[in-house]
Amino acid sequence: MRSSSPGRRSIRLVPIAAVAAAVLILSACGGGSSNSSGAASGGGTTTSAVKSGGSLTFALDEDIAGFNVLNASQAEFVTAEILDQVWPSVFIVQPSLKPVLDTDIVTSAKLTKKSPQTVVYTINPKAKWSDGTPINADDFIYNWQSQSGSSKFTDLGGKPYEPASTSGYNQIQSVTGSNGGKTVTVVFSKPFGDWKALFSPMIPAHISKKVGFNGGWSTFNAAAKVSGGPYEIKSYAKGSDLVEVPNPTWWGAKPKLSKIIFRFILDDSQQAPAVQNGEVNMVNPALPGLDFYDSVNTIGGFKVSVQPGLEFQHIDFNEANPYLAKVQIRRAIAWGTDRATIAARTGGEISKGLGPLQNRLFMTTQPQFKDVSGVYGKFDPSRAKTTLQQAGMTMGSDGYFHPNFGPQKGKDFTLNISTTTGVPVRSDIEQLFKSEMKTIGVKINIKNYTADKLFGTIGPKGEFDLIEFAWVSTPFASGNQPIYCSYTNASVCGENWDHYADPQVDKLFDQALQSLSPEQATSMYNQIDALLWKDMATLPLFQQPQLYGWSTKYVNIVPNTSSIGIPWNANQWGVKAS
Amino acid sequence: MSAYIIRRIGAGIVVLFVASFLTYLLVAESGDPLASLRANPHVTQATIAAARARLGLDHSLLDRYWIWLSHFVRGDFGKSTGGQAVEPELWQRLGVTMKMVIPATLIAAVVAIALGILGAVRQYKVDDNVSTALAYIFYATPVFVLGILLKDFFAIKVNNAAGHTILYTVGDNTPDFTGSTGARLLDDVQHAILPVLTLVLVTYAAWSRYQRASLLDVLNSDYVRFARAKGLSWRRVLLRHALRNALIPITTVIALDFATIIGGAVITEIVFGWEGMGQFLLGGLQGPLTPDVNTVQAWLVITAAIVVLFNLIADILYAVLDPRIRYG
Repeated sequence: MRSSSPGRRSIRLVPIAAVAAAVLILSACGGGSSNSSGAASGGGTTTSAVKSGGSLTFALDEDIAGFNVLNASQAEFVTAEILDQVWPSVFIVQPSLKPVLDTDIVTSAKLTKKSPQTVVYTINPKAKWSDGTPINADDFIYNWQSQSGSSKFTDLGGKPYEPASTSGYNQIQSVTGSNGGKTVTVVFSKPFGDWKALFSPMIPAHISKKVGFNGGWSTFNAAAKVSGGPYEIKSYAKGSDLVEVPNPTWWGAKPKLSKIIFRFILDDSQQAPAVQNGEVNMVNPALPGLDFYDSVNTIGGFKVSVQPGLEFQHIDFNEANPYLAKVQIRRAIAWGTDRATIAARTGGEISKGLGPLQNRLFMTTQPQFKDVSGVYGKFDPSRAKTTLQQAGMTMGSDGYFHPNFGPQKGKDFTLNISTTTGVPVRSDIEQLFKSEMKTIGVKINIKNYTADKLFGTIGPKGEFDLIEFAWVSTPFASGNQPIYCSYTNASVCGENWDHYADPQVDKLFDQALQSLSPEQATSMYNQIDALLWKDMATLPLFQQPQLYGWSTKYVNIVPNTSSIGIPWNANQWGVKAS
Repeated sequence: MSAYIIRRIGAGIVVLFVASFLTYLLVAESGDPLASLRANPHVTQATIAAARARLGLDHSLLDRYWIWLSHFVRGDFGKSTGGQAVEPELWQRLGVTMKMVIPATLIAAVVAIALGILGAVRQYKVDDNVSTALAYIFYATPVFVLGILLKDFFAIKVNNAAGHTILYTVGDNTPDFTGSTGARLLDDVQHAILPVLTLVLVTYAAWSRYQRASLLDVLNSDYVRFARAKGLSWRRVLLRHALRNALIPITTVIALDFATIIGGAVITEIVFGWEGMGQFLLGGLQGPLTPDVNTVQAWLVITAAIVVLFNLIADILYAVLDPRIRYG
């Protein structure tokens, strides 16, 4: 997912299904079954003793657009954070980026057959929604149908569903219930390796059928109050706050905090004074800069943690440009870009030692990460110049190369770079890139646009040379297919604005998506990235650091860089027991 | 006078209609509400098409304006691009802004008139010079700077000294507040102090200069000199003869500025996290699924109506205060 991020946190959510699915690749559950326990309780982490009661206020820099995180228009990161403790998930992505089965919801999930791929879920007999309706096969069926993308299934009023993603659900053939609805059998029409990503989270079927998947969750009403998790939403004041309190019908370990308040403070710079004044206890801004870091790091009794996130900055090359169509020129630009300096002088200001990113599909925090960049990922300005000469350019007396061909023949070789306005880190990246390109003889003009114009018109219509923005990566590598598969396949590869095409990459993606072996899939994805380096399809820059801050009065807070965010284990948070 | 008022209201309605048409065209053409969906690689073309149909984007621009207008005249402000009814949120945001703007205007008016009188009566004395210097400082200081200074160097220090929170830096009330009506009112006041103070400081500065200049002008007029020559006391001359005439210009300025502040206190709202009319407009222009034409139109109609109304009020007050003014 693109991070447009002008001022407000407009990091759009990568569908949770995608996130969890990617994590599935890490899951080494041989035979494809999962019966692990203690998932939702932050599986594997040690918890400290807490007092009962108390409240915690978490500052969010964006208000929610609605309460259905599975709907395309409401799929915000902040919505996912709010629903972490409200809507049930079959698998919970841990901070280690491993998925762990939430046995409070599903006691087992087994891959019983590989052809056709069949998964059987056993729902916890105690699992129920807060209005007393059991969580059962109906919920699985509805969640599949609403996110399948199939015109056979429609929302209230016969309107088409508008899901944020159909990934995986569009490969399901059937979902059936048995054993009183507590056993669910899912049969796939085409193998889907990231099957553990599905049904995480789940919308309550019996409610959504009545109010509508698309329109029934836009406002705070009775629907939004129904919970299948440790907390329920008590109140919502648009633009101000949302309050969650313990769900009295929750059958698992009781949460300790009597209230979690999500406070919408849209301007990040106002969060630090609120922390100092004791009005806010936790922060996690979208694009933290040095100013924000300094302002919260000096507050007594407040812990600050900076971790590499799953978002990474990068540059796209538009191969419709006659010069960027040549792989030599793309490689030369990459060799001439000092990504280590760009990283150090932007994200590195708050994350010391931040280096260039050497893989597009896996981040450094993931076990599958491998540096497959080879010679293409190195900074080598003299090689850049030599390569430009070999590509048909001659150094001019003004220090810029002049192409011997094309529309700029005999003139300074010039490229435009575009990004979103109002985002300081992106402006800094552009300025550094421009000066680095000057040293290898390439002239860069900066042409920036508002986010909706860049992503709505400029990008999709290919009206750019170079474009810089962030992708919110996920452990779900298959989610990258629409970005890197051949642009000629418009129905699947709609996000490939770069006119990039490589049939080998296409073939590997198809194979990896259908592989039921995590190790095999990982190997294929790394082969894909090696090809992307060789083709220099895009140039990854660095992983965007994530900043988390919380009052030391609270314990059991563990940052989670996946797109379920830090409230992933809020049911364990509490005031430190003295 | 009645005929004049009716004519002004009629003209105001025409102005609103033209403004709504132009704004609709400009806002609708300024961006693509579906851009954020297009930016998501997992949103299918079918979903984007469904969203386009739901938002009515498959109609022509003029059709969409007509649909909006025909609903609006029946009191239906429509839904935002996020599917929420615009009207309830509009009134809620207006209420939040009024909580800040009304007390700020009243306090600033009193302070401005008092300091304006002081400055005129004590022209070029020490107190006038100090008042002038302060006015220029506050007039020149950007709102966000003033807000941040008040938070860091006033509110937090006061709270630390007191050992508990007296002044709040964010929001217009405490979330999920439980307490008596009196306690709730106190909580609202504690949240309002900083933003109101910020608005007062940036607003009174200009008004006090107007008042000072206006009163000086009146004090130097012939009829005031004549009153003094007749033997009337300085106090009587000032309060019974000069002040009333000197209030005329400032009354007009306050009426016009009040209408402007309602729609435009956005920086104060951002600094203090108040979700008022300024943020309502910003929300319709920025963020996901924007531009949100229905939200922007609602904001425009209300703020334009308030501007037209307060212009009319200013003119009426002018006639009331100055008997030489009569409208036909």
